[in-house]
Amino acid sequence: MSDNQQPKSRGGARLGAGRKKGSSAYGEPTKAIRVPESMVPELLSVLEQRKQQVDLQTNRVLPSSFIHPTLDPLRVSIPLFNCRVAAGFPSPADDYIEQTLDLNQLLIQKPAATFFVRAEGDSMIGAGIHSNDILVVDRSIEAVPGKVVICALNDELTVKRLARKQGQLVLMAENSDYPDIPIQDEVELVIWGVVTNVIHAL
Amino acid sequence: MTSQQRFALVDCNNFYVSCERLFRPDLLNKPIVVLSNNDGCVVARSAEVKALGVKMAVPVHQIKELIEQHDIHLFSSNYTLYADLSSRVMSLLTEFAPRQEIYSIDESFLDLTGVCDQNPLAYGERIRWTIGHHSGIPVCVGMAPTKTLAKLANYAAKRWRQTGGVVDLACPDRRERLMKRVPVKKIWGIGSRLSAKLNQLGVITAWDLACLPQEILRAQFSVVVARTVMELNGTSCLPLEEASAAKQQIICSRSFKQRLTTFDELAQALTQYASRASEKLRGQNSVAGSVTVSIRTGIFNPDEVQYNQAISLTLPSATQDTRVIIKAVKRLLRKIYKPGYRYQHAGIALGKIRQVNEGLQSDLFIMPGQVESSTQQTLMKSIDEINRRFPNKVSVSSSGIKPKWSYQPENLSKRYTTHWGELVQVTCL
Repeated sequence: MSDNQQPKSRGGARLGAGRKKGSSAYGEPTKAIRVPESMVPELLSVLEQRKQQVDLQTNRVLPSSFIHPTLDPLRVSIPLFNCRVAAGFPSPADDYIEQTLDLNQLLIQKPAATFFVRAEGDSMIGAGIHSNDILVVDRSIEAVPGKVVICALNDELTVKRLARKQGQLVLMAENSDYPDIPIQDEVELVIWGVVTNVIHAL
Repeated sequence: MTSQQRFALVDCNNFYVSCERLFRPDLLNKPIVVLSNNDGCVVARSAEVKALGVKMAVPVHQIKELIEQHDIHLFSSNYTLYADLSSRVMSLLTEFAPRQEIYSIDESFLDLTGVCDQNPLAYGERIRWTIGHHSGIPVCVGMAPTKTLAKLANYAAKRWRQTGGVVDLACPDRRERLMKRVPVKKIWGIGSRLSAKLNQLGVITAWDLACLPQEILRAQFSVVVARTVMELNGTSCLPLEEASAAKQQIICSRSFKQRLTTFDELAQALTQYASRASEKLRGQNSVAGSVTVSIRTGIFNPDEVQYNQAISLTLPSATQDTRVIIKAVKRLLRKIYKPGYRYQHAGIALGKIRQVNEGLQSDLFIMPGQVESSTQQTLMKSIDEINRRFPNKVSVSSSGIKPKWSYQPENLSKRYTTHWGELVQVTCL
């Protein structure tokens, strides 16, 4: 300590001396009292219990039912009651639960060969395909006359119905505003996939 | 009678190009290249581009004129799309063989032993046709008694059109005829350095290699080459590896769009790579024991002052904590960074990788069987989960926000198969 911090007069209470207030083992100020000798052990045990309820780090008194934190905050052991509590009557339907319904199961036979595409235009309205609908396309299904197919036409992916009219394969729209497109060379026609379902938002 | 072993290698044709074409019928028969992660180099070429003499890994600025002249279509790499189509191909292949080894994003070995002894070519053709039609990705099939020969068969199927994309090399005479026509450097496992050494010994074709006496092999080459020679002669030494082994090294490195000069910029980029690499590390449930950092200036400009440096350190204990790895990366960068250079490329590599559950206690203060303290693990797990749902939402602050080195792909196609908003449009006209 340097000179100018020393008190000027001697004697009396010194600043900062003694135990700090509230630093007792009980987390609050203490007071000396006289008690009958026969009660000393009993009172000491009461005080001892009280001491154990003080959190050493924060000096606060914990409620008596509090779980004491361990040094590793992630290793608190909390008793686990590992038995079922029968609450009410067991459901008579328990044995009949099978599974929830999955739309994938309904719409997709072969996931690795199935693609979703978005339709644009009104030429297939008669087949229930509206603009902006999502089509489920399965590439593993053979494109035979009658199927709605995605084909590459004029460098674009296009939806048409494959049909046979008077022995000639045609790509047909499902809207009378659009003419049929006869297929001149079956080898040249690139069928991309077969539409199996339409997903139409209402 | 037990049937002869038969492996097949199914390899997608120009895989990235085929993925891009699947949703773009207008690009059929048009020249296409797919560029690397930073739009820097060519990583995939369509047949038309190969015919123009464009080599693999060429920097795109070197073929600028060709691109304009031939109207070559450029694509940034769309790994989301490629990964989805790859998994479709792999899953379709499982129907054809009891055992499968996924060798890379576009190649898979199959064990066809006893599956198609009657007519292997017809079976191979069925594989080729089915994958091509169902997934939309064309493939070639090579079949042979060993994996090395199956690779060679696939090479032949791709190289010679009259094979129809399917080759079977069960017959030793056919093998001999083919190997006499194939240069040794095309053999699986024979790199360019090895083939140069072999050429000096007069070993030019694959057949020369297959005929190399065991004494010479043992005296001058590694056991790996000796094994390759046995495989070429029809003795299978390399079994099918079904479970994909966890990676022994994880690398994350990129070229920058713009040159970087300051320490902070480089540190930001490396921090991001370190985050990505540690995410991969946790994804395969591993810890890394060493970290390597490398930085370099441009290598294609001969007038520029060059600097190229890499440095490694061993971590005090193996970790998968992004923060620990980033700290190490920054320490290493501080050691090799020199001001005054225009850096073009930086990367990090995580090494000494082992599985978390190997149960080695790496640190006195960590419980055996546990790699990090549980708080560390919980934090990293949460970050990974958030980032999985919302990509790049949580990152270490030193990776910077919208940094100038970050790369915006310019020719990215849509994620047709994985995002509802990016489905391909089909016209009803």
